[in-house]
Amino acid sequence: MLLKKTHLRDRHLSRVLNIGTPYLWLGLFFLLPFAIVLHISMAETALAQPPYTSLMNWVGDGVLQIRLNLQNFVSVFTDELYLAALLNSLWIALVCTIACLLIGYPMAYAIATSPERQRVILLMLIILPFWTSFLIRVYAWIGILKPNGLLNNFLMWLGLIHEPLTILHTQTAIYIGVVYSYLPFMILPLFANLTRLDFSLLEAAADLGCRPFKAFLKVTLPLSLPGIVAGSMLVFIPVVGEFVIPDLLGGPDSLMIGKQLWTEFFGNKDWPLAAALAICLLGLLVVPFVLMQRLESRIGGDEL
Amino acid sequence: MNHGRWKLYTFLGLGFAFLYIPVLLLIVYSFNESRLVTVWSGFSTKWYAELMQNQQLLDAAWLSVRIAATNACFAVVLGTLAANALVRHGKFRGRTGFQLLLTAPLVMPEVITGLSLLLLFVTMEKTIGWPDGRGFTTITIAHITFSMAYVAVVVRSRLSQMDRSLEEAAMDLGARPLRVYMSITLPLIAPALLSGWLLAFTLSLDDLVISTFVAGPGSTTLPMVVYSSVRMGVSPQINALASIVVLIVSVAVIVAGLSMRQRPATKSSA
Amino acid sequence: MANPEQRKLEPWQDPKAAPYVRIDHVTKQFGDVYAVDDVSLDIFQGEFFSLLGSSGCGKSTLLRMLAGLERPTKGRIYIDGADVTDIPAYSRPVNMMFQSYALFPHMTVEQNVEFGLKQDRMPRKERAERVGEMLGLLQISELRKRKPDQLSGGQRQRVALARTLAKHPKLLLLDEPLGALDKRLRESAQFELVNLQERLGITFVTVTHDQEEAMTMSTRIAVMNAGQILQVDTPTAIYEYPEYRFVADFIGLVNLFDGRVAETQDDQVLVETNLGRRLHMRCSHPHAVGTPVTVAIRPEKLQICQTYHENGVNQVKGVVEDIAYLGDVSIYRVRVSPEMLVEMTLTNIQPRTEQALTWGQEVAMEWSPTSGVVLTE
Repeated sequence: MLLKKTHLRDRHLSRVLNIGTPYLWLGLFFLLPFAIVLHISMAETALAQPPYTSLMNWVGDGVLQIRLNLQNFVSVFTDELYLAALLNSLWIALVCTIACLLIGYPMAYAIATSPERQRVILLMLIILPFWTSFLIRVYAWIGILKPNGLLNNFLMWLGLIHEPLTILHTQTAIYIGVVYSYLPFMILPLFANLTRLDFSLLEAAADLGCRPFKAFLKVTLPLSLPGIVAGSMLVFIPVVGEFVIPDLLGGPDSLMIGKQLWTEFFGNKDWPLAAALAICLLGLLVVPFVLMQRLESRIGGDEL
Repeated sequence: MNHGRWKLYTFLGLGFAFLYIPVLLLIVYSFNESRLVTVWSGFSTKWYAELMQNQQLLDAAWLSVRIAATNACFAVVLGTLAANALVRHGKFRGRTGFQLLLTAPLVMPEVITGLSLLLLFVTMEKTIGWPDGRGFTTITIAHITFSMAYVAVVVRSRLSQMDRSLEEAAMDLGARPLRVYMSITLPLIAPALLSGWLLAFTLSLDDLVISTFVAGPGSTTLPMVVYSSVRMGVSPQINALASIVVLIVSVAVIVAGLSMRQRPATKSSA
Repeated sequence: MANPEQRKLEPWQDPKAAPYVRIDHVTKQFGDVYAVDDVSLDIFQGEFFSLLGSSGCGKSTLLRMLAGLERPTKGRIYIDGADVTDIPAYSRPVNMMFQSYALFPHMTVEQNVEFGLKQDRMPRKERAERVGEMLGLLQISELRKRKPDQLSGGQRQRVALARTLAKHPKLLLLDEPLGALDKRLRESAQFELVNLQERLGITFVTVTHDQEEAMTMSTRIAVMNAGQILQVDTPTAIYEYPEYRFVADFIGLVNLFDGRVAETQDDQVLVETNLGRRLHMRCSHPHAVGTPVTVAIRPEKLQICQTYHENGVNQVKGVVEDIAYLGDVSIYRVRVSPEMLVEMTLTNIQPRTEQALTWGQEVAMEWSPTSGVVLTE
C-alpha cells in the first residue's frame, strides 16, 4: 500500500502547490491590505512618518486604549465635494458603459460573424490597443482636443467652426477618453460570448419566418446577455475609480472620486481620509462585482 | 454579401478609426520638426535623438523593463498555478473565494489597489522590518498581484480547451503526475504561457497609478516620468517615446497572437 | 458444449479457472448518479472481451476504473490476483487505447511510442529496439518521424495501438477502438485487431456501442444498461439466447410477442399471445402457467409458410407494408394485427424484380419451436 500513499501524497502536494500558493499570495498582497486600509481609515492624521496616529495605545496598568475615529467617514458623506465626486464618478461610469456598449456591440458582432481568416486579424486589432500603454493613449487625446489641437484645426480648416471649441479639460473630454480607453474591455467579452453563439439558431429563426432584426432581438440579444453584463462590469467598475483620465483630460468642474483620493493622499497627505474614501469606493463597487461574479460562475461552468 | 453586412462593416471600420487615428496621429507628429506638436512644419527625427540623450528617461525605462520582466516571470508561475487549481482541482473548498480573489484585481480601481498595497508595505516595514524602504521590490510585488490574475485568465482558457485524455494517456503509460505535467501539459499550454508573459510584461510597463503609490523616492518608472512630463503639456519627445512603445507592443501582440494561433489541442468530441 | 477441447478454450465455463481480471461488486457514483451500479465480472486470460451498451450505460466508466483513471466508490478490482483498486493508473500493468487516440501532438510517432518505455527507464538501446519492433508490427515504420496531425485516421489508430502495446501489457483496454474510423476501414481493422490479439495472446477488454463490432471480435460480450450488466455470454449465445428483452432488442432485429404461458409440457411451452393465437416454443426454464412472458424471434428465422392453417402452430398471416432492400437480404415488415408489425428477413436469391413478395401482398409466415426464446423480463 506504499503506492497508494505516494499517490495520495502527490495529489496532496499538487493541491497545496496549485491552490495554496496563489491563495497565499493574493491573501497577503490583495486581501490583507484592505484590512489595513479599513484600520487606517479610522486613524487621525498626524505630523509623523507615516502620517497617521495609531489606533491602539498602551496607557499603563495593562490597559489598552483603542480610539476609533469615524470622522473621516462622516466627512466623506457630509462634505459636498466628496459626495459630488462620488455621484459624478458613478454618472460618468454609467454614461460611458452605455456608450461603450452601443459602439462595442455592433463591432463585436461584426467580428464574431466575419469569416474565420479575417476574424483573427480583426480580433488582433482589438487586442492591440488593449495592450498599448494606457497613459500614451490618453495623452494622444490631449493633442487632439486642445484649443489649438488637431481636431479644432481640422474643423476650422473645413470651415465648420470659426472659433476653437473648448473640449479639453471638460467632462466631454473625460467621456471621450474613457470610451476610447475602455472600448476593448467591452468588445472582448462580447466577442467571446458571440463566437460561442450558434448562428444556426438565427437561420432557424429566419426559416421559421422571423425577420432579421426581430431574430436579433429575440435570439441573439438574450443569448449574449452574459457577455453584455461581463463587458459592462469590466468597464463600469474600474471607471468609477479612474484617475489618469480625469486628471489629464478633465477640468476643475469634473470631479471624480479616484482623483479626489489621489489629491488627499499625495496633495494633502491625509492618509486616513484617503483610506476612508477607498473604503467607501470599495463598498460602492462590491455590489456590481458580486453580481458579475455570480453570473460568471453560472455561465463559466462550461470552462471547468 | 448582403446589405446588412455592409452596414456592419462600415460601423466596424469607423470603430477601428476611432481606436487607431489618435495613436496614428501621435506617431505621425513624432516626426514633426516643430516643438509645437500640433503644427506640422517638416519631417525630422530629432526628437528621437533627443530622447536617446534623456538620461532620466532612459534610467526610468531601464528600471521599468527590469520590473516588468521580473514581474512577468513571477506572474506566469503564480497565474499558471491558479489556472491549474481552477481547471484541475474541480470543486475544492474555498473555490468561490479563490475565484473572487483572482477576478477582483482585474477590475479593482487602481487607486484602491495602489493605496492599500502602500499601506500594507508601510505596516509591514513597521512591524517586521521588511520590505526595507520602497522601490524595485514593492513595485514588482504590486505588479505581480494584478498581472497574475490576467495570466490566470489566459492560461485557464487554454488549459480548459486541452484534451484531458492526453494527460490520462500519459498517466496510463506510466508517467507520474508531475512528469505528466512537465512533459505533456506544459508543452501544450506553452503558447498561453508566452502570451501570458508578454501580457504581464506590458501591463507592468504601462502601470502608472499603482507604481506611484508604492514607489520610493529613488525609484521612478517610465510611466511616472511620462506622466510628470505630460502634465506639463504636450511634448514631441513623449510622442517619439510613445511611437517606440507602440512599435514594441505591436510586435509583442503579433508574436503572442501567432503563438496562440498554433493548432490548439482541442477537446475531442468524445 | 461437452467437447473437452472446446472447454479448454472457454475458461469461463471451468469452475476451477482463475480469472485474470475480477471486478467485485463495483459501484461508481458521480454525485447522485450511479454510473456503474454493483457490477461483478470475471475476465479470463487471453480473452477478447467487449463491454457493449448505448452511450451513458457506464461501460466507459467501468473501463476507466480498470485503467485506474477513476476510483470505484465501492467494491474492489483484482488484476492477476492482486487488488489494484487503490493503485493509480501509472503503476498498473494495464494500458489503454483512448477513443480519441490521445496521441501527443507535440511528439513524433516514434516519441509517442517511446513515451511509456521512457517512464519505465528502459535503457536507450532496448527502447529503440522495442519501438522498431512495434512500428514494424503495425506496419508504420515509415511514419516514425511524422507528427500526429500529419497522419490519417487509420494511421493514428495504428500509432495509438503501437503506443499501448509497446510496454507489453498483460491487459489492454480499448475505448471504442474503431469508433473514429470510417465504415470501410473499420471492417478490415476489426479483423486486424483480432489477429493481433490472437498473435500476442494479450487479454483485450474493449468498450463499444457497435453491436456488429462486438459480435465480430469478441470471445464474450457483456451487455450493459443503466450501469448494470444484463448478460455476459459468447456472441452466439447473446444473439440466439438473450436472457432479457433489452438484450434481445439491443442486438440485431427481433420480433417480440407478449403473452402468457398457457400450458407447459417437458421443455415446451404454449404461449397465449395477444395475436389471438398460441405460439409453441421450446424453453429450457420451466414456467408456471399464467406467467407473463415475451417470445423473441429473429426476423431471419421466419419463413414463408407453404401450408397455412387457421390454427397452425407458430404461423401468422399479414399484409406486406414495407420492404427494405439491403442488397443481400430484404426486410419485409408485415402487418399482422392493427397494433403489430412483424419483420421477416429473406435472402435475395432472385434479382429484386423477380421476388415473390410485394407491397400490399398477403403473406403467411412460420417458424420452428426451437428458433426463438421465451423471456420473462
